[in-house]
Amino acid sequence: MIEFHRVSKTYRGVRALDDVSFTVPPGTLTGFLGPNGAGKSTALRILAGLARPTSGSATVLGRPYAKLARPGYEVGTLLDAGALHPGRTGREVLTLGALLLGLPRVRVGEVLELVGLSGKEAGQTVGRYSLGMRQRLGIGHALLGRPRALVLDEPANGLDPQGIRWMRELLRGLADSGCAVLLSSHLLHEVEQVADHIVMIGRGRVLAQGSLDELGRGRSLEQTFLDLTADTDRSPA
Amino acid sequence: MTTTTSGIPSRPRAAGASRGVPFGRLLRVETRKLFDTRGNLVLSAVLVVLSLALVVGRSVATGEARFFTLAGTAAIALGVLLPVLGVLTMTGEWSHRTALTTFTLEPRRARVPAAKCVAAVAAAVAVSLVALLVAALATAVRGGAADWTVDPLGLLGWIATMILVTGEGLALGLLLRNAPAAIVICLVSPMVWSFVAQLGTTGETLAAWLDLNATTNALMTADMTAVDAVRLATSALAWIVLPLAAGFVRVLRTDVR
Repeated sequence: MIEFHRVSKTYRGVRALDDVSFTVPPGTLTGFLGPNGAGKSTALRILAGLARPTSGSATVLGRPYAKLARPGYEVGTLLDAGALHPGRTGREVLTLGALLLGLPRVRVGEVLELVGLSGKEAGQTVGRYSLGMRQRLGIGHALLGRPRALVLDEPANGLDPQGIRWMRELLRGLADSGCAVLLSSHLLHEVEQVADHIVMIGRGRVLAQGSLDELGRGRSLEQTFLDLTADTDRSPA
Repeated sequence: MTTTTSGIPSRPRAAGASRGVPFGRLLRVETRKLFDTRGNLVLSAVLVVLSLALVVGRSVATGEARFFTLAGTAAIALGVLLPVLGVLTMTGEWSHRTALTTFTLEPRRARVPAAKCVAAVAAAVAVSLVALLVAALATAVRGGAADWTVDPLGLLGWIATMILVTGEGLALGLLLRNAPAAIVICLVSPMVWSFVAQLGTTGETLAAWLDLNATTNALMTADMTAVDAVRLATSALAWIVLPLAAGFVRVLRTDVR
């Protein structure tokens, strides 16, 4: 269960998030949609305890992130697939995570297999990885502790079509097994194919939320999205 | 900060029970990070090889047979490179933004730089011991001419100096989070201080109290007066304690990006 309760965040006088509230129940996959700069990443960083909200609270399994007893086992996060040391191998990145969590080393091999990185790829330094491989590694890192909630920021970026299908099936499977999955994206079609619920934000405010059917009723999700975010459109009228 | 041994997956969560990542585990991970990239390995290798080369070079070139003088030669390399090790230990987390994942696995953020400090200081002590061993070997080959005169306190002071210069690197690295800037400050400050010391009595006094290289000299030679001790404490406060404290506050207060 992931909950945002009236979260606002002001950065140097600019309101990045404004009264954001929504819930991701266990066993569901929520797509977090919004144009670039809408506040998606800020919201996810607040959820992960990396940024402090100006007001309101975000909780995972009923607690603020910093109060979780063992965060790595309770919520898996992938906030930026680019935030990796280029000199470490993929296997080393996962080994460091497994050591911190106190997991046996065999878990590293299991996760590599789960995210489809071969032994050879795992031995390469991350600096040589494509963005898609970094995303797989980041998803693997998030899944190390078999968490009950999952927070992913733009995980489909850089994945090839096979990768996107793989991720869709993986995340659907996790949600079906009871995990609360929150997935941010600006790739509408990807989210449309996998999410149960949608939360749309623009300029820091929740513009709409509901089930896929509710938001897409009678027209495409894309049209709903474009209508709602029309005021953030950069193209000339 | 208590070190706990729990955190086993099956352990039930109880109110007030020890929780989170035990400090020993953090320490193990941060120690591993000192050696798990090619860049870090090269730095460690250069540290050892350079101090070895300086000691052997001096011994061969001048026939130096005094143990503590050879140790002092090794200190030339360590005094330059240990601060760099300290800086890179801290800044690595921010220059590649891995702080994002590190702090999600350990939300009690201050424990991460604390573990880095312990790991880097332990590495500095280990390298110092290796350097002393090399100096001892280079002395031993002189046979009867070997001069082993050394004040045990001087030896401790020698190691303490290596810890202090590492601490300077750690402190500036944590405060600035910018490796080039922190390294330049560490390397250029001896030059600046020797210049300041030439600017009349005020400059001389300033340097005598604030130049870590000058204040640690008394420590190295185990010839320390009360005034020397206060000067050492003052310079350590200025270059280690205060920047480290400010760096910890910055880690706790600012958002991680």
